[in-house]
Amino acid sequence: MSAWIVFGVGGLFTYLMRGSFLLLGDRVRLPAWTEAPLRYVAPAAFAAITVPATLGDEGLPALAPPTAEVIGVAAAGFVVWRTRNIPLCLLVGVVVLGLAGWIGL
Amino acid sequence: MADLSFDRGAFGRGVRSALPLMVPPVPFGLALGLIITESEAVGTFVGWASSWVLFAGSAQLVAVELLDEGAAAAVIIATIVMINARHIVYSAVVNARIGAVPGWFRLLGSYWLTDQVFAIDEMQGEIGTRQRMWTMLGAGFTMWSIWNAVVLAGVFVGDLLPDDFPVGFIVAVLFGGLMVLATRNRPGVAAAIVGGLIAVGARDLPPGTGVLIAIIVGAAVGAALERRWERAE
Repeated sequence: MSAWIVFGVGGLFTYLMRGSFLLLGDRVRLPAWTEAPLRYVAPAAFAAITVPATLGDEGLPALAPPTAEVIGVAAAGFVVWRTRNIPLCLLVGVVVLGLAGWIGL
Repeated sequence: MADLSFDRGAFGRGVRSALPLMVPPVPFGLALGLIITESEAVGTFVGWASSWVLFAGSAQLVAVELLDEGAAAAVIIATIVMINARHIVYSAVVNARIGAVPGWFRLLGSYWLTDQVFAIDEMQGEIGTRQRMWTMLGAGFTMWSIWNAVVLAGVFVGDLLPDDFPVGFIVAVLFGGLMVLATRNRPGVAAAIVGGLIAVGARDLPPGTGVLIAIIVGAAVGAALERRWERAE
């Protein structure tokens, strides 16, 4: 029972947050100064998801010496920068993680 | 309202853009299905139903874990809200550029507005309202269908996934790739660095809080540097 309540109410709030602006349409006008920051939401958001997931519980010390995960994500990031190809990026990430783990990083 | 009738090309582009982005959610969803079957507090059906009630992988995972630990419902709901709060910002970005769209799209598009759908919309560049709308619908429909199917599959065959399968790493690679694609200029690089560092520094705060702070500060830094560097040129 409590699982239904948690998912139901949590789902309703999630929907209302996803719809916070989209549901209201033209009735909400953001002030002009928000225009520039909104252009940088995507890089900031995806970095905020990626970096903690890559470094793990160790935090910044995972960078030096780099863990296998750090090397894998960095290699995948480089590939997507050069090719803009997400499937290739995923493949390279997994292969490099495997190689880095295999040589004992 | 302008012609917004079904645009097969745009819908197909949304589907094709979503497919590679759904590769990491497959092992994630299988693992989630397995965790649901093993959960004491969450029944199998209600656990699977969270895939369409919540439609948010990380929030679903954390909610199942907290329910198993016996956390209070209000605490779990507050956690779900914080984890998903970044979607408010996505909603503002999409709303600002979508143009005049019908109410049914606003209802459905809000339901399907995930990180990946936002990323796909972000990558479309300058396109018209009709194309933007149908690309989002194609991407959202694809993600939603695959996610519900995968979590259901995880309930039955989730134990086929090897114990050491790097689920979290694959998610990190995907969002790392999306980060690179979304970073188009030097202020964007700064926004990503600031956002990433804040999220790491704030990782002991309640789930979701660090990401939300990171987005707000990272975006503000990006905008400030954009103005400063443009003036310098």
